[in-house]
Amino acid sequence: MIGKSLRWGLIVFLMVVTVVPLLWLLMSSIKTEQELFNSPFSLPRSWSLANYFAVISDQPIFLYLRNSIIASLGATTVILAASLLASYALLHQFRLNKTVFLVLIFGILLPTNALITPIFLAFIKIGLYNSLLGLGLVYSGMFFPIGFLVVKGYVDSIPREIIDAGRSDGAGFHQVFRHIVAPLSVPGAATAGIFVMISAWNELFYALILTQDSSSQTVQVGMRYFLTTYNADYPLAFAFTVMSMIPTILVFVILSDRVVQAMTLGSLK
Amino acid sequence: MLIEIPRARLREGPAPRIDWKAVRQRLAVALYLFPGLALVMLFLVGPLIFVVALSTTNWIGIGVPKEIGLANFTDLFRDQSFVKSLINTIAWTLVGAFIQAPLSTLAALAMMRIKRGAKVIRTILVLPNVIAATALALLWYFIFNPTLGLLNGTLSSLGLSKLARPWLEDPQTALWATMVPFCLYVGFGMILISSAISTIPHEYYESAELDGATIRQQDWHITLPLIRPTVALLVLFNVSYGLRTFEYPFFMTGGGPANASSTMSLYIYNQMIVGLRFGASMAASVVTLLLGAVFMAAVFFALRRSDPLR
Repeated sequence: MIGKSLRWGLIVFLMVVTVVPLLWLLMSSIKTEQELFNSPFSLPRSWSLANYFAVISDQPIFLYLRNSIIASLGATTVILAASLLASYALLHQFRLNKTVFLVLIFGILLPTNALITPIFLAFIKIGLYNSLLGLGLVYSGMFFPIGFLVVKGYVDSIPREIIDAGRSDGAGFHQVFRHIVAPLSVPGAATAGIFVMISAWNELFYALILTQDSSSQTVQVGMRYFLTTYNADYPLAFAFTVMSMIPTILVFVILSDRVVQAMTLGSLK
Repeated sequence: MLIEIPRARLREGPAPRIDWKAVRQRLAVALYLFPGLALVMLFLVGPLIFVVALSTTNWIGIGVPKEIGLANFTDLFRDQSFVKSLINTIAWTLVGAFIQAPLSTLAALAMMRIKRGAKVIRTILVLPNVIAATALALLWYFIFNPTLGLLNGTLSSLGLSKLARPWLEDPQTALWATMVPFCLYVGFGMILISSAISTIPHEYYESAELDGATIRQQDWHITLPLIRPTVALLVLFNVSYGLRTFEYPFFMTGGGPANASSTMSLYIYNQMIVGLRFGASMAASVVTLLLGAVFMAAVFFALRRSDPLR
C-alpha cells in the first residue's frame, strides 16, 4: 500500500506525536508555574522535584494509589481464577458447551457504560457504594470477558496428550486441573492478568460514579480535582499526572513483551 | 478435541442405573463454570436486563417502579443536549471505524516491512495504550491550550500562527480536538493487525515477488484480503469504544462549548450525578445499546458482503 518513504514518514510521525507530548509533560512537571507561562517550550531552568513534593503533601495521592492497586489487583485475581476454572470446564464435552462460551464472552463488545445506572442504584441499596469491594467487583465483571478470552486461548493450546496421560495415570477431574492445566496456564494467565490489571487501573467512568471520597477513590478520580479546584496550578497537575502514570508504565517497561502479547488477544502464543 | 464425559445414565428403562462418577464429573464442570457465569450474570446480563426494563418507568431508586411507557424516550429526543450527544457519539464510532482503524492498519502494514528497530518502535507506539485515557486527556487538554499549549506553539514557530485558535473552546473544532489523541494512538490496533499479518505464509509474498508484484500490490491483493476479519474485529472494538468514550470530552471540554463535544457517556453521567434523573440516564443507556447493536450488525454485514470467496 505504501512505499518506503511514506512508510517511514507514517511511523516517524506516529512516534513524534507519541513521544513529544510525553516529554513535554515530563518537562513541564518540574517547572515552576511562572516558568511554564513565560517559556512553555524551553528546557526547565533548574531540575527540582518541588511540584512532586507539593502533590504528595497537598493530595492524598498515596491513598489514591493504594485504592487503585486494591481495586485492580483484586479484580485481576478474581478474573484469572474464574477464567482458568471456566476454560478448563469448557475443555469437556457437554451439550451447552458452545452456548456457555458465547455467554461468557458476550460482554466483550458491550458499551458497558450504559449499565451504570442499575449498578449504581443497586450498590447504594446493598451498601457497596463508595467501597473498594464494590469497585473491585464491578471491574471483575466488566473485564472478565476479555481476560477469559485470552486465558482460554492458552488453556486450549495445552497439548491434549499431556492431559490424557494424566487421566490415564488416574488423576481425577480436580487433580488434572490442579496439577496439569493450572500450572501449564501460568504464562497465559500472567499475560491476561497484566492486560486486565492495566485496563482496571485506567478505568474512570465507574470509579467516578461509584465512589464518593478518598477512602475509595482511585488515582484516575483524583486527577479530576486538578481541573476543578486546582486548575490554577498547572505544574502540580502535571506532576500528579506523571505520578499516576508511573505504575502502568513501569509494568509495561518491565513486561513489554507480555503486554504486546496480550494485545494480540491470545491469537499468538 | 473436547474431553468426553461419560453419560450420567447408563441404562434407559424402568430402573435406570445412574453412574455416580459421571454425575460427579458433570457437577464439577458446572461448579467450575459457576464463578465466570456469576460474574457475567451479576455485572453484565443482569444490569442489561434491568436497564432495559426500568427505562420505561419513572423509578428513582426507591419505591415501586411505575410504568410510564416511552415518556423517558420522547423526553430525551426533546432535549437538545441529548440529540447533540447522540450525534457526537455516532461521529466517534464513525471516526473509530473509518479513521482510527485504517490508520492502525496502515501502521501495521508499514511495520511489517520494517526490520531494523522494529521492537523499539513497537514499544514506543504501544506506550500510550497502557497509559490511562484520563492522563492522556489531561495532557491533550494542555496541548490544545491557546496560550501555553504545544499545538499553537508549534504552529506559530512554523509561521502558521494564523491557524492557531482556542481549539477546545471553539464549537467548530472542540469535538474533533477531543478525538485527536484517540486517533493518533494506534498501538493496540497495530499489534492486533500485526498478529494477523504474521500468520500469513511467507511463500505468498515470495511467489508474488517472483511475479513482479509491487509492495502496494502485495499489500492490496495478499495482506488485506487475509486480514479482513481482524480489521473487522478492530472496527468492532473501536465502535464499542466510541459508544462509551468519556475521558476525553470529560477532561478536555466537559462536553462544551454548548454541548458541542458531549457524548452519550457524558450525558448519562450528567443525568445521573448532576441531575439525578435516572429515567433519562437509563433511556439514554438503552439508546446507546441499540446504537451498538445496529453498528455491530452493520460491521458483520459488511464483513460478509466483502468476502472475496463469497
